[in-house]
Amino acid sequence: MTKLTVEAKVGVFVVMGIVILGYMAMKVGKLSLMREKGYDVEVFFDSVSGLAPDVPVEIAGVEVGRVRDISLVDGMARVVLRIKPGVKIKKDAKAVIRTRGILGDKYITLGKGSPSAPDIKPGQRLWRTEPAMDLDALMGTLQDVAADIKSLSSSLTGVLGGAEGKATLKAIFNNFKEMVQTLNNTVQKNRDNIDVIVANLTDFSKTLKELGGVNVKDIQKIIENLSQASDRLGTVMEGMNRIVSRVNAGKGNIGRLLNEEEAIDNLNAALASLREISEKINQGQGTIGKLVNEEETAEKINTALTGINDYLQKQETFRTYVDYRGEYLFEHEWAKSYFTLRIQPKEDKYYLFQVVDDPAGKEKVTRIRREVDGQIVEEERVELEDELKFSAQIAKRYYNLGLRGGFFESTGGVAIDYYLLDDRLTFSLEAFDFDWEDNPHLKFIANFSPIHHIYLTAGYDDFINDEGQESFFLGAGIQFADEDIKTLITNVPIPTH
Amino acid sequence: MAMMNFFEYAGRPFVGILEEFGRVMLLFLSAAVWAFRPPFRLRQVFKQMEAVGVNSLPVVLITAVSSGMVLALQSYYGFRMFGGESLVGATVALSMTREIGPVFTALMVTGRAGSAMAAEIGTMRVKEQIDALYAMSVNPVQFLVMPRVLAGMVTLPVLTVVSDFIGIVGGYFVGGQLLGINSGVFMARIYEMLDLNDIFNGLIKAVCFGLILSVVSCYKGFYTTGGAEGVGRAATQAVVISTVSIFISDFFLTAVMF
Repeated sequence: MTKLTVEAKVGVFVVMGIVILGYMAMKVGKLSLMREKGYDVEVFFDSVSGLAPDVPVEIAGVEVGRVRDISLVDGMARVVLRIKPGVKIKKDAKAVIRTRGILGDKYITLGKGSPSAPDIKPGQRLWRTEPAMDLDALMGTLQDVAADIKSLSSSLTGVLGGAEGKATLKAIFNNFKEMVQTLNNTVQKNRDNIDVIVANLTDFSKTLKELGGVNVKDIQKIIENLSQASDRLGTVMEGMNRIVSRVNAGKGNIGRLLNEEEAIDNLNAALASLREISEKINQGQGTIGKLVNEEETAEKINTALTGINDYLQKQETFRTYVDYRGEYLFEHEWAKSYFTLRIQPKEDKYYLFQVVDDPAGKEKVTRIRREVDGQIVEEERVELEDELKFSAQIAKRYYNLGLRGGFFESTGGVAIDYYLLDDRLTFSLEAFDFDWEDNPHLKFIANFSPIHHIYLTAGYDDFINDEGQESFFLGAGIQFADEDIKTLITNVPIPTH
Repeated sequence: MAMMNFFEYAGRPFVGILEEFGRVMLLFLSAAVWAFRPPFRLRQVFKQMEAVGVNSLPVVLITAVSSGMVLALQSYYGFRMFGGESLVGATVALSMTREIGPVFTALMVTGRAGSAMAAEIGTMRVKEQIDALYAMSVNPVQFLVMPRVLAGMVTLPVLTVVSDFIGIVGGYFVGGQLLGINSGVFMARIYEMLDLNDIFNGLIKAVCFGLILSVVSCYKGFYTTGGAEGVGRAATQAVVISTVSIFISDFFLTAVMF
């Protein structure tokens, strides 16, 4: 074995160093000396406190780039993100500064944006941002809240604490007690009435539920009985009262009382009535009896209430829209107006009733005869006349796609609607007026609603017509839902005289 | 006059230090100048690279693997207190590449090769071999100092790379195998936290340390006086001054780079 030369030893040594360095560089893999590939996106934040260059930018936790530069522009922090090539970011994606781990490393995460939004182009700005959760600001807010609570509790102490506060509290409680007593008395005094009310209510719910299934006469009879019984009870009570007062007054004695026939009769009658009533109640006769004895009654009330609830819930999803819109057709230089009532029992379904005022709805043909150079010439003059047309359609919606069918301007037709941007933008294609001779009437409509209740409309009307009826149109509309109408009506000032 | 003597007496050490610093710089400059003048004396450079680099490898490897293992062990006990065991790998990797790799390597090379340089050149000085070189019209700076400085600057980064790698391997062995940290997490954290810049800055440090230790050692040897005793003193001083200079410059280099 020959001995290695000095040069060979040094060569092996240096090569080993380079190989290890190369291996580590490959593994660490972030050749930050080189300018990273990709494209830049700008974001402006109110504060980037804690954010450093070269921190990761993530979408759904996957690193898609790094922060390249942070600078101050007009008091805002301008952050340039270097996004890896091939990563697409929606224009309306939201940029948020987040904190990771207990050490609080900041990084930027981007939302996915709405699917319909276009992709951002290199150098453009992401507009939607959310600043970093500032711990100091949070603590500040908490402090304010604590101060509020403290002042509240101290003012409460001021009101309730001390002799005056105690007295007030006592007075309040006394008032309350009196009120409860009065209420109690009232209820007791009006017990009969309340019974009758309850009876009526039961009766009512029963009638509501079993329309016709119950013998109404019976109930009437029961109520009559009941009122008779309570009438009698009243007389009995009067008598008893008289007896007691007399006994109290020391007039007469018990022997005389017992010998007095009238009193005994009264007492007997009262007892008999009482027994009758309690027996009836026990046996489940009469409304109160039924109410007391039968579970069925309670269940019926329950079902009645459930029914009412269901009905009310249905009312909640039930919506009505009133809509008026005008369209100006450029080709014909006339305006068409639509008054629409849309009844929407469910989110995905509605009925549409429409009255259309079409200035060119009807063709009026007049024949004029006149003499030209001794000959009779018959001329036909066609005039278009104003006509009211009616539409009635059923619409069903599947996510962003809506289908409509029914009558369109007094003829049969179908339509497709496509909804975008939370229904603020809709594209519709209507096809109607099918007959053998002409092409159907096709109408393309785009509606855009920049603010609530108001929308702009534009489109191309009757574009496969072969009589030159096609026209672009532009218009605007106003739409109200039933709640809006309610609000509107209740807020309209009413003349006082 | 007495006043003057006092200031002279008090100021002399400072002036001495300044003088010495100036002489080191002059030696370095002349070595730098001679490096670009023929003859290039590659043979001498390779010889010194073998002496400084290749022959220092075993001692550097042992130092690196032990320091990597100790780092892993110590940081593990620290991080375990708040459940951050997964950070051990990153800690070892960052410490090795940024500090421990370059500094420990430079210290070991100073001890092994720096003292040898001072002793060798010092012996040649006291035996008047350097004067003989002059007589043969061979520039002793080019023949003795330049190859050593060049060898120090070239081999130190190589040794440091090896040291970084072996240190991380040692840390991986202790952390991943002995202490039971998940080895995947261990490596993932290293990749996440370690930047190529960390390694490169460590290598820049290594180049500077190589320069410092070789220039200081050569200087000490070159200006040796006082026979065999002087040679011994030169070797000792070369190691002490190199070591101190390395630590001081390490601080400034770190402050500038990170």
